[in-house]
Amino acid sequence: MIRKILYSVIVTFIITAFTAISAQDISQLTAQCAANAGDVMYLEDFVVKLDQGTPGGAAPTQRFAMLLSKNIVYRFSICSAPNSEGEAVLQLYDMNNLIGSTFIPSTGKDYPSFDFKCQKTGVYHIFISFKDGKAGEGVGIMSYVKKL
Amino acid sequence: MLKKVIYLFVAVSIITGCRSGERRADLSIPDSVLNQGPEMAEDVMQDVVQNISSPVEMAALIKELGVEYSNRYLSSTDRVDDLSASFQQALNLGIYTADLGYLNMYNKTSAVVDYLTAIKTLADNIKVGQFFDFTTLKRLATNNQNLDSLMYISVHSFNEMDEYLHSNNRTNLSALIVSGVWVEGLYLGTQVYKTTPDELLAERIGEQKLTLDQLILILENYSTDRQYRTLADELIKLQEIYNGITIRTEYGAPEMIEENGMLTIVQNEKSIVEITPDQLNQIAKTTEEVRNRLINL
Repeated sequence: MIRKILYSVIVTFIITAFTAISAQDISQLTAQCAANAGDVMYLEDFVVKLDQGTPGGAAPTQRFAMLLSKNIVYRFSICSAPNSEGEAVLQLYDMNNLIGSTFIPSTGKDYPSFDFKCQKTGVYHIFISFKDGKAGEGVGIMSYVKKL
Repeated sequence: MLKKVIYLFVAVSIITGCRSGERRADLSIPDSVLNQGPEMAEDVMQDVVQNISSPVEMAALIKELGVEYSNRYLSSTDRVDDLSASFQQALNLGIYTADLGYLNMYNKTSAVVDYLTAIKTLADNIKVGQFFDFTTLKRLATNNQNLDSLMYISVHSFNEMDEYLHSNNRTNLSALIVSGVWVEGLYLGTQVYKTTPDELLAERIGEQKLTLDQLILILENYSTDRQYRTLADELIKLQEIYNGITIRTEYGAPEMIEENGMLTIVQNEKSIVEITPDQLNQIAKTTEEVRNRLINL
């Protein structure tokens, strides 16, 4: 009985300690990702942690709704956590239309960020997923670049 | 021996648990238990509120227009200790946050400390002070160095606080903070417009119609509370003017341009705001009245 209690206490300890470290890592990743975005002004971050998708199914995705303003250039950046199994991809949608992505499947090219010259004020959606539906952890950053 | 090991692990677990909880409110009862959810589903509320009003975007636009700094636009921090109810505290926290964004934008670091102190006091009162690393913020402001970090930490702290309120079913307070940010941002924009009329600024003021509609929708969700009803009614006065403003869309397909390895998306779909000088004057006048009433609620 005492052994069982001991094991459960040890497991709780490990989980608690691991969670605390993970939260700190994400905070550092967010600060680093914001700094890497360049000479821009940080506006918002999107922390994502997703499980692996089911075989043949759609890749798990997290969605964020954001109000963007006309005549502003925004920068969207993406960073995967160092221990992330999958590589994070950020996509920007206007209604159901894909406007921009940090990964272009037709060329196979990845971009750490892209700029969006916004000409229409409204609610846009940011989707973050991991390539091939893998599990992963990462952060997206939205920054203010300049007025148009 | 085994008992000692158990005690040791229990003690270490408690200490570690306390550390990992440093950024949580020091309440013994979870906020989610203390606060009943609104009629609108919480995830829908989150969707509506997110980024409804940024504490720095209006200030950034004003600075880019080349408008000089003026402290007469700012709300005085002298009243902080008189704000006793959480409703007033949350609303004014938003107002001061918008002012802080304006001060940060113009690198007015000496005044920044006053506003940080006011924000910290109000945030502590509504149990979200743990998100503001006041020591670091004050050091950055006092030393007048690393202003990018000051801006990052200020905005990031605000975002974390807002996220915490959402995840703990305290969206009602988040709605008040966001309302404060929005009203002060609009006040700032309209006051600047009166002295420096600019087409871009006029359009930005007109576009607030979209945000205002969302904001009223959120506040009406809590309107069984008299104070929320009063706030919603104040904003409805503005909505009555905004109802006359038209926002139309010209359609076009986006273009993708790659230059020096950098990807840029150019949106060719445009929103066009149709707003008259008279409507701008009415919005400026009503915003000033509403804002002054709110800071004295």
